[in-house]
Amino acid sequence: MNRIVSKLKENKKILSLYFTAGYPNLADTLPTLKQMEAADVDLVEIGLPFSDPLADGPTIQNSSTQALNNGMTTQKLFEQLAGVREHINMPLIIMGYFNPVLQYGVDAFCAQCAQIGIDGLILPDLPLEEYQEHYQPIFEKYGLANIFLITPQTSDARIRQIDAASNAFIYMVSTASVTGSKSGFGPEQTTYFKRVSDMGLKNPLIVGFGIKDQETFDTATEYTQGAIIGSACIKHLTENGPQGIDTFVKSVRP
Amino acid sequence: MNRNTAEVDALAADYLGFIFWEPSKRAFQGKMPVLAPNTKKIGVFVDASIKEVLQKTTEFDLDGVQLHGSESPEYCASLRQELTQPKKVESDVRLSAVSADRQAVEAPVIIKAFAVGSTFDFSILKAFEAHTDYFLFDTKGKLPGGNGAAFDWTLLQDYPSTTPFFLSGGIGPENLTNIQEFLASPAAAHCHALDLNSKFETAPGLKDTQALEAFITIIRTPNMQTYHADENGYYGEFGGAYIPEMLYPNVAELKAKYLEIMAEPSFQEEFQQLLKDYVGRPSPLYFAKRLSERYNTKIYLKREDLNHTGAHKVNNTIGQILMAKRLGKKRIIAETGAGQHGVATATVCALMGMECIVYMGEIDIARQAPNVARMKMLGATVVPALSGSRTLKDATNEAIRDWINNPIDTHYIIGSVVGPHPYPDMVARFQAVISEEIEWQLLEKEGRKNPDYVIACVGGGSNAAGAFYQYLDRPEVGIIAVEAAGKGVDSGESAATSALGKVGIIHGSKTLLMQTPDGQITEPYSISAGLDYPGVGPMHAHLFQSGRGEFISITDADAMKAGLELCELEGIIPAIESSHAFAVLEKKQFKPDDVVVINLSGRGDKDLNTYIDYFKL
Ligand SMILES: Cc1ncc(COP(=O)(O)O)c(C=O)c1O
Repeated sequence: MNRIVSKLKENKKILSLYFTAGYPNLADTLPTLKQMEAADVDLVEIGLPFSDPLADGPTIQNSSTQALNNGMTTQKLFEQLAGVREHINMPLIIMGYFNPVLQYGVDAFCAQCAQIGIDGLILPDLPLEEYQEHYQPIFEKYGLANIFLITPQTSDARIRQIDAASNAFIYMVSTASVTGSKSGFGPEQTTYFKRVSDMGLKNPLIVGFGIKDQETFDTATEYTQGAIIGSACIKHLTENGPQGIDTFVKSVRP
Repeated sequence: MNRNTAEVDALAADYLGFIFWEPSKRAFQGKMPVLAPNTKKIGVFVDASIKEVLQKTTEFDLDGVQLHGSESPEYCASLRQELTQPKKVESDVRLSAVSADRQAVEAPVIIKAFAVGSTFDFSILKAFEAHTDYFLFDTKGKLPGGNGAAFDWTLLQDYPSTTPFFLSGGIGPENLTNIQEFLASPAAAHCHALDLNSKFETAPGLKDTQALEAFITIIRTPNMQTYHADENGYYGEFGGAYIPEMLYPNVAELKAKYLEIMAEPSFQEEFQQLLKDYVGRPSPLYFAKRLSERYNTKIYLKREDLNHTGAHKVNNTIGQILMAKRLGKKRIIAETGAGQHGVATATVCALMGMECIVYMGEIDIARQAPNVARMKMLGATVVPALSGSRTLKDATNEAIRDWINNPIDTHYIIGSVVGPHPYPDMVARFQAVISEEIEWQLLEKEGRKNPDYVIACVGGGSNAAGAFYQYLDRPEVGIIAVEAAGKGVDSGESAATSALGKVGIIHGSKTLLMQTPDGQITEPYSISAGLDYPGVGPMHAHLFQSGRGEFISITDADAMKAGLELCELEGIIPAIESSHAFAVLEKKQFKPDDVVVINLSGRGDKDLNTYIDYFKL
């Protein structure tokens, strides 16, 4: 079974971290993953940096620019991850924009991911329709989960469509915003989390965007199975590097 | 169909159908317009009494009737007999006279329609053959026709009859290739006509004449393809909408409504009126006598430089602000490079009293101070884009991020034929006014609608899309797109996207773009800020890849020289973007009697500082 799916079967609130590969230093990718595994993180999204990350706020943008300046490339990332399954058991997801994947070749990219032991992909600018029309068979051939986003503006009908097309979890974007730009959750978020949770979807929900501390983590996971921390994790890496991720994780989920 | 019958008739279809079945959304109402002499008017009936059919045939002088219900062979036989009988004198003498006259020529034809499901029993046709002129095969659905889906045309391989038939049901741009394949196959041996309906509607009864024209042209020209967008915004392999889910509701709303809104008479009226009284259209088509003598060919300039705000950009911003109003949006965002599109957007926002936020790269803000000041005077807020390379592509990223953050009340006015579908097609349609005018202006001056060549510069490609629009599917018109080579295509400082780009995704569109082998988008360079974009609209990527368009790249130096030449020969200071188009005259030899239209996309006022520095004036 796909590692993401088995992890989600555990009866716990999932804590997932996002970090940009090759940040703050090119060689930090694997040490960061090891620190996360040691800190009992449930799920990791490894960011493949892109020059024009449309859905990201300044924190993640800057980390991407820095990683690219450090020399990070798709090929480099695959090299860094080549032996990752000797050390890491957590489910791993690569999150990036579609153009670098397209240039690498979608089939070749998925083949590499499968070989390394990557479990799924999040490509925010590869929409459902294009995925289903052109790429779904490739993802399936390599056993990769494709994870779609929904937002507070996504209609119920489309949420159901996305649920039907998903095979791991649904990434619930907490607010209408790019990453890292909102502080705290209000009643609209709680209502939205509950509304979607009440739809009885076949896939678990994991909330992302705007999770940064214990309070936001608890609010986000009251009605859902987990939460993803991105910008706050990048801020930690900016200040400390891979060191001390366990302290960061404990501050969110004691 | 009834709401734009005359426009549809102008496309020279062989038959036009008028539905006389009241429950239909498309039921015919009102007066029959005068149609082209060769168009046959067909009345569509569903289980109507013979009396009613005869009455409508006479009243509207129909050339045929299409029976779409469960009419029997006996019904067809009696109707046939009645239709061929000379009419009794009726109360309306004039009408009956007309119809009596018609009897002498040709009796109205009978077309019997059948609904085809996953199978069809062709043996039932036999009993009808003697009493009908044509059969029509439509998709079985809830309604007696107009359901919008296609049936499996390969069933017609078993067609046992020699009665010619009409093929109907769900035929539209998206199954164009299937239809072409079908028409080329033996199953189509007796296919007499294609019946086009709901797939070309922007609303029930309102036909999208542009899409119809494109389709009809292609179907009539075997092996020809269209250079317009299909319904998902694809031009060949380019286009589409590669957007994060956060943008989906906004883009989906626009996609669902833009054609319908643009076809509304009230929209067209307001758009045309503003183009005329506010923008100052039509822009002149000027015969450039001295330039023509210099290059020994006939050169016309399409004077978009004379528009209000000094460029073609305003055609699009007027269209989009009216669109935004009809979508109920309150807040407008835009990106700008040189500031031309920002100024054109700030202008229409002032005109409509709407809030306007323009994103502009920090570096461009420093380079284009006068346009920043103009936007501020017009009441816009100019927000510096601080990310990435801090130029146009980053300003576009910031505008998209703003739209993600403000999904409800905001409309994003994109400045060129770029971005996710429907933007490239929508912007092209607003800019199409350029070639619509060229057509009639050239007819007045040269006695023909088509020039031999149309030349335009391409940044994102909006002025070129507008200048090419009417000519895209007319292969006899040469299309020349001019890109900025900067310091030379291979200098590393260039914006010649077709030469240097590879297929990829930029700003929500699959197109050609300049990028590293790793798929990171690179920074272009051109002396003209308006051509300084690492991508190109998907229409142009397709024109390039298919060979329909000729792509020429022009260096800074050649463009500047051509700009100066236009000043000296014609007394016109062009925008440096437009100067690139003029430099083609040195590169390509035209024949003395060729009619060459150059789109003069903008005036040079904004570039005065660059000209001063470059020529040490
Ligand atoms: C005068 C003029 N021409 C051309 C362009 C290039 O844009 P497009 O290729 O969309 O026409 C610009 C853009 O700023 C412009 O100002």
